[in-house]
Order: sequence, then C-alpha cells, then structure tokens
Amino acid sequence: MAPLKTSLEENIRQVKAALGNSGDIIIREIPIGTDDEMKAGIFYAKGLAKTDSVHHFIIESLMLDTRGTELKHKLSSGQNALQLIKDYALTAGEIKDVTDFETLFSALLSGKTIFLLDGYPQGFAIGLVGWEHRGVTEPTSQTVIRGPKEGFSEVLITNIALIRRKIKDPNLWLESRKIGRVTQTDVAMMFIKGFVHDQVIEEVRSRLDRIDIDGILESAYIEELIQEKTYSPFPTVFNTERPDVVAAALLEGRVAIVIDGTPFVLLVPALFGQFNQAAEDYYQRADIATLLRLLRYLCFIIALLGPSLYIAITTFHQEMIPTPLLISLAAQREGVPFPAFIEALVMEVTFEILREAGVRLPRAVGQAVSIVGALVIGQAAVEAGIISAAMVIVVSITAISSFVFPSYNMAISVRILRFGLMGLAASFGLFGITLGLIALVLHLSSLRSFGIPYMSPFAPFNLADQKDMLFRFPLRGMFSRPRLISQRQNQNRKKR
Amino acid sequence: MKRQIVLGMLILVLTVNAGCWNRRELNEIAIGVAMGFDKSGDKYRITSQVVDPGEVAAKEGGTGHTPVITYHATADTLFEALRKMTTMSPRKIYSSHVRMVVIGEELARDGIERFLDFLTRDHELRADYFFVVAKGTTAENVLKTFTSLDKIPANELFDSLKTSEKAWAPTSSVTLHDLISDLVSKGKHPVLTGLKVKGSQKTGESKENVERIDTPTRLQYSGLGVFKKDKLIGWLNEEESKGYNYVMGNVRSTVGDVRCPQGGKVVMEIIRSKVDRKGKVTNGKPEVDVDIRLEANVGEVECRNLDLTQTSTINELEEKSEQIIKEFIEKTIKKAQKKYKADIFGFGEAIRRADPHFWRTVEKTWDQEFVELPVNIKIDHKIRRTGTVGQSFLKALEE
Repeated sequence: MAPLKTSLEENIRQVKAALGNSGDIIIREIPIGTDDEMKAGIFYAKGLAKTDSVHHFIIESLMLDTRGTELKHKLSSGQNALQLIKDYALTAGEIKDVTDFETLFSALLSGKTIFLLDGYPQGFAIGLVGWEHRGVTEPTSQTVIRGPKEGFSEVLITNIALIRRKIKDPNLWLESRKIGRVTQTDVAMMFIKGFVHDQVIEEVRSRLDRIDIDGILESAYIEELIQEKTYSPFPTVFNTERPDVVAAALLEGRVAIVIDGTPFVLLVPALFGQFNQAAEDYYQRADIATLLRLLRYLCFIIALLGPSLYIAITTFHQEMIPTPLLISLAAQREGVPFPAFIEALVMEVTFEILREAGVRLPRAVGQAVSIVGALVIGQAAVEAGIISAAMVIVVSITAISSFVFPSYNMAISVRILRFGLMGLAASFGLFGITLGLIALVLHLSSLRSFGIPYMSPFAPFNLADQKDMLFRFPLRGMFSRPRLISQRQNQNRKKR
Repeated sequence: MKRQIVLGMLILVLTVNAGCWNRRELNEIAIGVAMGFDKSGDKYRITSQVVDPGEVAAKEGGTGHTPVITYHATADTLFEALRKMTTMSPRKIYSSHVRMVVIGEELARDGIERFLDFLTRDHELRADYFFVVAKGTTAENVLKTFTSLDKIPANELFDSLKTSEKAWAPTSSVTLHDLISDLVSKGKHPVLTGLKVKGSQKTGESKENVERIDTPTRLQYSGLGVFKKDKLIGWLNEEESKGYNYVMGNVRSTVGDVRCPQGGKVVMEIIRSKVDRKGKVTNGKPEVDVDIRLEANVGEVECRNLDLTQTSTINELEEKSEQIIKEFIEKTIKKAQKKYKADIFGFGEAIRRADPHFWRTVEKTWDQEFVELPVNIKIDHKIRRTGTVGQSFLKALEE
C-alpha cells in the first residue's frame, strides 16, 4: 500500500508511469482558488466516466465556485482546503477518500474520477460513472409466454436494481467483493436474512473467498470454482437470466451470486428438481403446470433412454415387441448394413454435429444447415438404406425431448449420459441399462449442493416439499418454504 | 485417483469384452409365426412358417415373393429338427412370436404328449399361441396354404380362431397351459379345434389362390377334436362343439334359432352366458348339475304372426330356446359318454371339488363312471332386448 505523495506533480508522474501513459486516461491539472494559489489534479478514464457530468459537476465547480466570496473567505482563513472543497465545491453524491495508490487505481479504472490537491497526501474518488452498455432486454435463453419480459444485462448495478425492484424488504442483504486478481470483477452475494441457512451463507462466503484466479469473465468461472464435485455430469449450481426466477429463489431461501459483466446470475443451493421447474409453471394455472411438469420428467426419461431402449429391445429382447411391430421394424432393417448400436451412434453424432454447427454459425447461414440436416440426414440416409427409418424417428424424438428442459445445463448432462447408456444397452441389453440407471441413481443420491442433498425432497423424502417438485400445487396449497433449504420462519403465509 | 482411473478402465474393458453376448440384429433373425408337427415314419416332421418382413411390410407391392416361407426338417426329436432347419435357412428361426401350433391328424391320433415338453422348456417360446389339429390333412399342408386378408397365414388363423370363438362359439382357443393342465388332470380330457383345408390343396399352395375374389382354397375351422389322454379319438360336429362350449361357459356370443308356432323362425343372439358346474355324490353315486344362465337379444324375426310386445310371447320364446339348447347340449354329452367315453367337460374335476374322498375311489376308473354319469341340465334363458324395432313389419303385411 503505497501512500499518496504530498506533491501533485509527483503523484501525476507516478500514475502516468504505472499506467504506461495509456491514452484513455485523462489527467487534467487546474489552478483553483481566487488567486490560483492551489493546484488540483483531475484524473478519469475516457469512456468509463460520465464525461458530461465530470465537466459540469467537478471541473466547472472547481474553476468557478472556488472564486465565490464565501469559499474564498474560508480558504483564506487557513482552514483545511481539502475538506472545504469537498464540502462546498464538489457537487456530486458519491465521494470517497483516497489515500493510497491501490485505491486510486482501482477507483480510476472502475470509471470514477479522482481529485487530488497539491500539498495534500490524499484525495477523493468521485463516483460519476457511466459507460456504454446493453440495456435491459428480453432474456434469450429462458423465454416465457406469460411473465415478465425483462432480463438481466451485463451491468452489475442494473442487475441488482432489477432484483431490488422485486423484493422491497430491508432483510434483502447484499455483500460485495472483488474477485479476480487482474480483472477485479465485482461480485455480489444476495440473500434474504432470516430465510437462508446461516451455514449456507457461511459456505458460500468461504468458497467465494477461496477463489484465486486471474480473471472472472463469466459466471461460469465462479460456478466451476465453487461447485461441490468436479467430476459429475450434473450441475449443482443453477443459473438464470431472469430477475423473477432469482427473486423466487431468494424467497425460498437461496443465495444469489450476481457477477459483473454477465447477465447470468448464479443460484445456490441447486437441487435436481429445480432444473425441471420453469418460471412459467407459476404463471399458469396449477393443473396445466403440473401436467407440463410431468411431461418434462417424461421428456427427461426419453432424452436419457430413447436410443438405448431401442437398441436394447431390438437387439436383445425381440420377444417384447408386438408381432406386427416387430415385422415392420424388421422390414425397415432389411439391408441396413450396421448393427443398431452403430446406426444409433452415427445418427446421434450427426445430430450433435448439426446442433453444434447451428449454435456457432452466423445467423444468415443457419438455414442452409437445417436444409442439409433435414434432407441429407433425414431422408437420404433412409432412402440409401444406411439408416432405418425407425432409428431416425427415435433419434428425432430424443433430440426434441432434450430441448424441453427449462435449464440448458441439465440438457447437457442428459446428452452426455445418453451415450454411456447406449454403450451399455449395446453390450448388455436391458440388463446394462438397469445397471447404468442404478449407478446413476447412486451418484445422484450422493451429490450435494452446498450441503443440501441434491435429490431432496425425493431422497431424503420430505412429504411437505412434494408440493412443488413433480407437481405444482395451487398457491393456496403451498404454505411453507422448502424445508431443507430455508431456515426458521418456515411458514410463508398463514394457513386458513 | 489412480485407483479410480484403474477402476474406470476395468469397467470399460469388461463392457467391451462382453462382446455383445447373445445379440441378434433384427435382420439376422427369421421370425417364426407358426409351427406344424407331423409324423413321418417314427420321426417328427416339423414345418416352420417364417415371415419375410420385407414382403409383408412392403408399401408398394414388394417384389412379388411370398409373404411367408416354410422350412421343413425331419428328425427323431423336435429340438433336433428345429436346429436342423438352419441347413436350409440363412437365419436362425426365432420362435418367440409363434402364434399357432398345428398338429397333423395322424400325429394327433398317435399321441402328442412326447413333444410338449420342448414347448414348455425352451426359453424362447412364449405360451400364448394356440393349438389346433389339422383335420384330415397334415400340418404341413395347412401351413403351405395362402391366405388373403392377412398376408401372414399364422396371423389369419390366430385372429380367425379368436373371432369365431367370440361370435359363433364352435371353436375353442387352447393355449399350451390349458392343454397341459387338461392332460395332467384325471378328471378332464382335452379338446383341440380342428382346422381343415377347404378346396384343392394344389391351388391353395399357389399364389393364384389369393388372386381371385372368391378364394378357391381356404383354411376353415371345423368342430372340436376329442382327445382321450393325449390321443385324438374323434370329432364333434359344429352343433356339438357349440354344445360343448355352452357347458364349459366359453360362449361369449353366438346365434341360435327357434321355430314359431305358425312356421318361420326367430333368431336369438346370445350376449352373455354364465355356467355353474356342480358335482355331488348321493348314495355313493356321482351326479353333476349344469346350471346355465343365458341372456339374449332377438336378432331376426321371420314369422308373420308374432307379437313381440307381449310378455307372453317373450316367455314362450324363452322357453323354446331353453328346450332347443338343452337338447343339443344333451346330445353332445351323450356323444362324449357313449361314443368317445371321454370326459371332455371336466365333470370329474367337479366331482373332485365336491367330494375329494369319493373322488379318490373313482379316480382310476373315472372314464367308465363317466359313461353312466347323470347330468342334470338347467337352463335359464332371458331375452333382454328385441333390437331396434318392436313389431316386425311382417305383421303389417299380414293385414
């Protein structure tokens, strides 16, 4: 912690040297006082500071107001000039003292304006910040038909404001810190005091503090560094770009981690069932929401097991297929040169290629991919007799099912596991699938997210929490917050 | 960490080395849909009907091949014969989807118990197929016949047996378990439906058979074959077969007619039937009560002078039907008692349930006892509905 020097000239020299004379840092020396008896230095970063306001509220004030009679009188009477300027000349809200170079640089580079006065080893950081950024727009990855259409943007303070707008409670607390040795990214932890388990907060705090990395560019960095187990295909941290989802999670007693520079906010603890809950479940009637949720679980099973069940049954357990269907399937397979497993693998990999291409491609070329995909893979492969038509159907329904999940990261884990199960199905049939599923259930049951069992409330079973897992009870039936997540004040409204 | 990696690799190697044991692709199996057993000297001759899936499922006519193929093999035992077929068939015959087992009459008269063990023991076979006897012909001939509505003859036979049992009731669908439980039971002899080739065998075997609207050669179920133990001893005609099914409570729906006083007929459609067969022993003499409850609708009226709106008419019709049905049931029972001396109705079972001690004394000689067994038939016939019209327009014609 190198303290500031008394001489302004020296300070300017040091700042310039430290920043390598970067052209976007503006340094202005102005004489102030009636007879220009004092010299002041103004530092700000072009593009980060709100230039208009700096001109108007700092430079103009200093140059003109210090010549006013009242201030002139006081200054000449030998009082502390720095204090007087702060009190009478700087017409800005957020002013903090700066006494060392570290604080100075950190403030300067986050867009604040630094004011130093010759002859004093201290100055101010004035918060007139304003840079170009994306506004609040509709979230692209989690859309709803009915529900709020605003999504987080890249600016931390906007995101926090969006959450605050939804929960106007003094118990909504915020803890800020900077993470990243070089990037110094602002990270805010939000929670509702009293709803959250103290241990969970403590755990989140300690895990955040443990992070030691050069840069945080997206919330995924934090997610990867604070998650429980590295070797699990399942996500144990939830992410969303919807303020309403964050607000709902906070009300349930979860902790939100908001990171500057990304619209994706992290939510912990995250449980398995949570990844199948869509925001819209709560904006629709309970009956349709429940049915849709059950449909999503069905899709989970299809996406996970579709091709492997097909492989297992057609190559090991033909007796399970009704005779007319068996004959029809056998007819489609006549002349197909590959075993069902290879067939499925070819189709699945092709689909993955198409999907990856679709994500990376410039939008203008996107259509070309779908044409090639639909025609070449779908039709031509069947007509050429390389792939059987039934396999195309199986792979398609599997693919569509995997897009049903409200959360993208759960879809990814299912995508990976699907291939493993296909291998098991090809070597051991249904027996292999069963083994795979047993292993999967064991793994899921052993997972924890910030100390909370991942499969709860299924395992350990909690009857009261079933109201919002497989089913979505009407709101008048939901009396309590999730037991394992939130603490105390468990009743969220009065039972009538 | 190292241990985990080793474990992971072990699992991978084990999975791969399992070598997809017992894996069969769909185009590596021949789907067998029917089996036929015949006698060939003192050996078995087995016919297997196998589907050509490409031909059956073809959308645009296919290649003109036949939808099914039969393979034959002759060997001392059934299993050997089945495996012997691989010398002719490029694929191993997969028998899980067998719908029909046809037994040639000659073999049936010779006894069927010897080969049934294989059918129960083999894991590939399910027990949901039906047994029939090829009446007056060989199983091979039956399985070689073209059928038109369903391209796969075995399916046609399967469906036709079920439908006729449901709607006309002169047939009986017997599965492996039924057959074996009848065979081992001392108080019941099995029956199997007969199947005959109607028309010339030669036309039936050529594709020409299905190219005509009036299919010249058809497979037709015809009466029940009566078995004594495992040997076929004779046939029941259509009416007797129905009588048998009445007694057994197998009638789900059938049609029967009643003569009107002034000539013409009224036809009844039986819609429901329930049967109680109770054995009893009085003074050391066994006796069986057969209590049949039938519900029927009037299905057709041919006579002019019949007022269906009167309760008395309905009562009269009910009485007459009862008589007619009772008559042919009695005829059936007489035939089983006098001609075949085989208890196909399971009356012995009824006696055993009623009086196990007495049963033990007659168990050995039940076939003789059965010949003299008094059977009391009681029929309760109810007419429920008279169709969509009450009075027939024929009545108006009269005036």
